Amino acid sequence: MKYRFVIDPVLCTGCRTCELACAFSHAKNLKQGRSRIYPLSHAQDKYVPITCLQCDDAACVKSCFFNALRRNEITGAIELDLNRCVKCMACVAACPFGCALFDDIHNEVVKCDLCKGDPACAHFCPTKALKYTKL
Amino acid sequence: MVTIQINGKLVQAEKGEMLIAVIRRQRIDIPALCHHDAVEPCGSCRLCMVEITKKDWDGWSKFVTSCLYPVEPDLIVSTHSPRVVELRKTILDLYLARSPKSEIIQRMAAEYGITQTSYQEVPDGDNCIMCYACTRVCEELGCNAISAVQRGHKKIIAPPLGEPPVDCVGCLSCANICPTHFIEWNDDNGKRTIWGKQFELVSCKICGKKTITRDFAEYLVRKRNIPANYFEICDDCKRTELTKSMGKIVIAAQEISK
Amino acid sequence: MRIESAKHLQQLQGEYSADLNRFPQKVLVCCGPGCLANGSEKIFNEFKKILSAKKIQGITVEALKKTGCHGFCAQGPLVVIEPQGIFYTRVQVKSVAEIIEKTLAGKEVIPRLLYVSPENGRKIENYKEIPFYSNQMRISLRNVGKIDPENIRDYIALGGYQALAKALTTMQPQQVIDEVNKSGIRGRGGAGFPTGRKWDTCRKAESDIRYVICNGDEGDPGAFMDRCIMEGDPHSILEGMIICAYAIGSTSGYIYVREEYPLAVINLQKAVEAAREYSLLGENILDSKLDFDIKINRGGGAFVCGESSALMKSVAGDVGEPRAKYIRSVIKGLHDKPTVLNNVETLATIPVIMNNGSDAFASIGTKKSAGTKAFSLAGKIKNTGLIEVPMGTTLRKIIFDIGGGIPNKRQFKAVQTGGPSGGCLPESKLDLPVDFDTLTEAGSMMGSGGMIIMDDRTCMVDVAKYFLNFLVYESCGKCVPCREGLYQLYTLCNNITEGNGKEGDLELMENLSQNIQIGSLCGLGQSGPNPFLSTLMYFREEYETHIREKKCPAGVCRSLITYEITDDCTGCLACIKVCPVSAITGQKKKKHFLNQQICDRCGSCYDVCQFNAIIIK
Repeated sequence: MKYRFVIDPVLCTGCRTCELACAFSHAKNLKQGRSRIYPLSHAQDKYVPITCLQCDDAACVKSCFFNALRRNEITGAIELDLNRCVKCMACVAACPFGCALFDDIHNEVVKCDLCKGDPACAHFCPTKALKYTKL
Repeated sequence: MVTIQINGKLVQAEKGEMLIAVIRRQRIDIPALCHHDAVEPCGSCRLCMVEITKKDWDGWSKFVTSCLYPVEPDLIVSTHSPRVVELRKTILDLYLARSPKSEIIQRMAAEYGITQTSYQEVPDGDNCIMCYACTRVCEELGCNAISAVQRGHKKIIAPPLGEPPVDCVGCLSCANICPTHFIEWNDDNGKRTIWGKQFELVSCKICGKKTITRDFAEYLVRKRNIPANYFEICDDCKRTELTKSMGKIVIAAQEISK
Repeated sequence: MRIESAKHLQQLQGEYSADLNRFPQKVLVCCGPGCLANGSEKIFNEFKKILSAKKIQGITVEALKKTGCHGFCAQGPLVVIEPQGIFYTRVQVKSVAEIIEKTLAGKEVIPRLLYVSPENGRKIENYKEIPFYSNQMRISLRNVGKIDPENIRDYIALGGYQALAKALTTMQPQQVIDEVNKSGIRGRGGAGFPTGRKWDTCRKAESDIRYVICNGDEGDPGAFMDRCIMEGDPHSILEGMIICAYAIGSTSGYIYVREEYPLAVINLQKAVEAAREYSLLGENILDSKLDFDIKINRGGGAFVCGESSALMKSVAGDVGEPRAKYIRSVIKGLHDKPTVLNNVETLATIPVIMNNGSDAFASIGTKKSAGTKAFSLAGKIKNTGLIEVPMGTTLRKIIFDIGGGIPNKRQFKAVQTGGPSGGCLPESKLDLPVDFDTLTEAGSMMGSGGMIIMDDRTCMVDVAKYFLNFLVYESCGKCVPCREGLYQLYTLCNNITEGNGKEGDLELMENLSQNIQIGSLCGLGQSGPNPFLSTLMYFREEYETHIREKKCPAGVCRSLITYEITDDCTGCLACIKVCPVSAITGQKKKKHFLNQQICDRCGSCYDVCQFNAIIIK
């Protein structure tokens, strides 16, 4: 892994640009995808952007019987191979942080894939609360 | 790496790779109903058949299912030769006689110009096309709750002895993978029913949202060593909980830095 | 009893053979499937009872042998008195005492029980002079009918396991394979793949474990060659398997027998136990450091389990469904290990090749198909039974010289070879020499060797329908062309026999057949349309008559025929009595009347009428 996705909650204003960027960059058939990132409020005007932590010993990977979740060694992201996914929902239920999601519109399981090495959320974050930096 | 020829174009492929993967990477559309990356190939639908030959075969060629044929050096593949197209038409025609109401069959057949079957419609024909995707996915999960029973034209997919399957965990993988959406299931009032067996759905401790079945959660705990408490709350509440604890850390960190 | 070495075996052969020949005469009672059905077990017991009670001319009950099939099933139950070769046919229990008294004690032949030549009415005493036997050459069936299959000593006495001893002590494994290769023997199961090449590939496949499997899942309707070998001479199969194990380097083998052959299962089981007792199976066989053992696997009776990959799945305990064989089973077979799968007849022939040398074997038969082949004759033929002839013998010789031709003065119409996957050959093909390649070229196939002979009262559309129905039922149902395609082919064929055939049906069926052939996963589907295609090739006009004129020329298809009573009717009442639906009415000595509305067209009246007064239209 050469890069790391860094979140600095102090800088987050809860503007939800990241959500928009994520939904648009994962659009399919002219429909936006479900965002994989959520800036959630924990106190008045205080936010934490919640997204996949790409755990080392990830519960989602362990829970998948079809080897559909695999780590991309370059970007560091755990990527979901939709061709191998049978929507058993094991990963959605197993992720302790609730970051494997089900997209009702496209009827598929989704999770953060760090946009194959160029995360749109970090790209568009106006306050640089989200960064994708070289190690 | 191996070099093969597909429809006249030279293509690189990994050694041991199945032909269908190479063909589809070339964005060549070949139909298949039983093929799914999640499960072992089985070659039952016969739609992905292609014609193969080699320079030294003296003009002789053979027909193989591309989902099961590993690439070989110098292979010459035609995915839409007249004989292959004729074969696919016949197979789709047969499918249409068996499952005239299946949308995917109708669509695939129409792509090959067939809107009406040439044969007699099978009496009591259903939408199960015996692609074995459900049994293979169940095998992959390690449950083996369902299998193909009986023989020949009477063959069906069923749980052992036709009773509610003991080994089923209610994960719905079979219903989700089924290309014709034939496998029926139903979630109602916190209960899931599939293959005649009823399952309790786990309710989120916080919001009450229903997630997976209790049996599947326990199966994941047992087979994949996932802590049991991971399954107690739903994904939405997990994110809220995460936000709360992260918030506390952020506030504590801010105070220390002050 | 442990056989220590090849030398010890030789010594035992001498002993057993002397023991066997100590009686002046031997009684062989055929207990093959045909004779058993006709009550030969009772005949055997009667002999046993009388001979146990008293010794006759030095003959004790030990000179009585319960043997496997003698072949001439049509004449059964059979009893043969050796060494004279006296051949008694249609023996009944009440004749047993007479045979003992006259033939065994008095050396007198009973003419009443002899075979009568249909040509000149002459009674033939010695079976070797009967054309049915004199035209045969028995290699794989060499011991069937001559020995007691339950007794390993009989087999050893006749030179059994000598081929094994020769291979183990004087030959290297590669030499054994070379010898098999040179003999030119091809798989007797039907496909005709060279056996030596199969063994060679398996030996060279990289693996620590290899398997030998004997395919005894004989499922073709009308075929019983393998059954008779398994029941009548199980040790020859074991010997062939052990030689194969030595050649390819295997330590474990299986015999896959169908459950419908209970006697074969029992006799094989007994043979395996006896061979273990004599240390011909187990560790360090004949002091050669070869370890090999055999398990018997009973199949559930699915036809498709005779197909190699389905058979191996069944042996492994899975559902017997074929898999795609882009990697052959000699490389990746049972439990994904290199596996040699040979037919019963092939394995039973191996010891003869080892004993007599490859040249002797190669000199029999034709250039491309060496040796002999066993066939079972069934259907409309006089001499129903089991035969073995050199490859290249013409169909005419098999059917007319050995088989005796068609009974009831009817005409020959076709012969069905190769089981459901084979085809029907008409009279014009009767002079074809029977071997693997000529039959395939003619649109049929050798198959495992079942031959069903049909006379002019056989409707070829009906025959195709019968075999298609068999295949629809026996298809495993895994792949679409076979499951749905054969079903549709059957449906179309059935429509034709019911008078619902349309113009264009034959073309649709031909097109479907071709696509089933190239599209199916295993041999069952690929050869599935053969019954239709071969009958269409030779009897197309019969199909057309069914479709266009709605008539069945052979008078078989019930929907297309009517029975009529002509003026020849004498009013004998016979047909009235036999009609199951009471469609015939009339008075004695007056012409009867047949009500077409009620008639079920079963043909009972036609069969019973002595005056040919009932005709089919």
